[in-house]
Amino acid sequence: MIGTIVEARQVSRIFRMPAGPVVALNDVSIAIAPGEYVGVVGPSGCGKSTLLHVLGCVDIPTAGEVRFRDLDVGSLPDAERSRLRLREIGFIFQRFFLLPMLTAWENVELPQAEAGADRAGRQARTRELLEYVGLANRANHRPSELSGGEMQRVAIARALANRPQLLLADEPTGELDQATGEQIVALLDRLHADGTAVVVVTHDPAVAGRAARLLKMRDGRIVEDSAR
Amino acid sequence: MIRRVVRFAWLASVRQPARTALGILGVIAIGALLFDMLLLSHGLVLSFRDLLNRSGFDVRVLATDARPFAGPSIEHAGDLVRRIEALPEVEAVLQVRVRQAEIAEAVSDSRNDGESIEFIGTDPPGRAVWTILEGRDLPSANGGALVVNRNLARQLKLTVGSTLRLRGACSAGSAVLPPVTFTIAGIAEFPFDDATATTVAGRLEDLQRLCGGETGDGADILMVRSRQDLGAAAAAAAIKRTDAGLHVVTNQDLLERFSRVEFSYFRQISFVLAAVTLFFGFLLIAVLLTASVNQRLGEVAALRAVGLSRTRVVAGVLCESVLIVGAGGGLAVPAGLALSIWLDRILRELPGIPVSVHFFVFEPRMLLSYGLLVGASALGAALYPMWIIGTLPIAATLRREVIS
Repeated sequence: MIGTIVEARQVSRIFRMPAGPVVALNDVSIAIAPGEYVGVVGPSGCGKSTLLHVLGCVDIPTAGEVRFRDLDVGSLPDAERSRLRLREIGFIFQRFFLLPMLTAWENVELPQAEAGADRAGRQARTRELLEYVGLANRANHRPSELSGGEMQRVAIARALANRPQLLLADEPTGELDQATGEQIVALLDRLHADGTAVVVVTHDPAVAGRAARLLKMRDGRIVEDSAR
Repeated sequence: MIRRVVRFAWLASVRQPARTALGILGVIAIGALLFDMLLLSHGLVLSFRDLLNRSGFDVRVLATDARPFAGPSIEHAGDLVRRIEALPEVEAVLQVRVRQAEIAEAVSDSRNDGESIEFIGTDPPGRAVWTILEGRDLPSANGGALVVNRNLARQLKLTVGSTLRLRGACSAGSAVLPPVTFTIAGIAEFPFDDATATTVAGRLEDLQRLCGGETGDGADILMVRSRQDLGAAAAAAAIKRTDAGLHVVTNQDLLERFSRVEFSYFRQISFVLAAVTLFFGFLLIAVLLTASVNQRLGEVAALRAVGLSRTRVVAGVLCESVLIVGAGGGLAVPAGLALSIWLDRILRELPGIPVSVHFFVFEPRMLLSYGLLVGASALGAALYPMWIIGTLPIAATLRREVIS
């Protein structure tokens, strides 16, 4: 598909468990285009997060193929996949996963440093991102000194640090109260408006309702793929 | 990448001060013990080597292979000394005979009469194995002079020029011998004295006079100084050729024997304790890092998802280990040195230990051995947590962290 960032073709992911194999994804095919805003909904255990992990190149499917900008992700060595994630993909997690020993500024700066950005460039980008998420005044605070909403905004800034083409968010409001969750959703809307492709896995209908394209999943399959 | 890894590990260490302090303190305690065990493992041998070399003689000649002063004497030693001195490999020979004597009457009003002392008779004068602290050495012309050790001088309040009457106690069952009066020429330090020894040294003719002539022309030991350009081994071989029945040992032979037999106890103890210490150090760091890594699996998985490579996160754990062990290991050296001084003082109070012998002796190469052992321990301790991080499944860990 022309203009596709990431594409999954007949992807299955089976987990070998002591009680027997669990099929998390079953013959799923999907393509994400630049600038798309995709919501993924479905009951717990239907494979939403697994789909996100496969699209984000952190998990390799048991069967099928994932292509990121025409690269066959499955054939890439681990170091190449890491580089791909570092430069092209941003991740937002339900539990934020900020590094507690680093300040907000350092958390946002870290992926840039890993990508080899120079000091001046890192400082400018970090300042810009913290201002973007409204946390310029909290730059020197460590995660333990921030509220849940603030932590998630720092996590978003970290995800955007290397100007990714694709932002993947796994239940980004799952740990937040409604008002704070709305701030985060508004931020995702802004990101989408600025041209970043966003895929959001959520249980929250209000969050899913913001997406232009909605995927409904059940038992490891996409049962509905609707544009709105 | 190294700079980033070090900076990250540094921040992780300084911003978790309790964990880091605990680790460093543990490494200091263990490192100090390990360092001391290394000093102990060679300390006695090094100290004994210095003691032997300090005498200025590098070959010893005995009648048999029994320990010095415990076996039979060398008969007709005067003739033997002349033959050995004539050897081109030999520079000087000192004839030594040691007997017990009793204090008959001291110049002071002390109450030491009848107390036993050790009398070292040597010839010729001027080749002493002791070090003069006050006064002068034995005169070469006249007899009747003694040098005494500090202990005896202090006990009897002897000074240079004062007199001391001794009675020979040269062999069991011999008749009571008449006392002989000596003049104190000097106060000296005798290398093999222990802390309580009372020792005097005089000429062989004085010892003979003290013992009523029963010591004859014998010697308990001949101390030989080899020609520097030919060495002790050549001198020993030449002496052996002169009289195959003699037991001839170089300082090096003695050191090897002591190292193999007499000091092996300390070497084994230090080896076992060093191994145990090292193992505990390894366990401490391994447990600390493993616990720390297990607490941070979610963060590590997130970092991997964000794009940090496997090598990068593994190197981070190794670097944290190196920082903790490096800081603790470095601080352990002065701590170990201080501890070794204290332990050395305790051990040297054991009876029969020469004052100048030390159990813990520092050598620069010990630092290298210590550094290598501590470095290997840091690496070994980091292996398991590195393996955990290196094989961490990103997606499964993120899922597990969310569920938990």
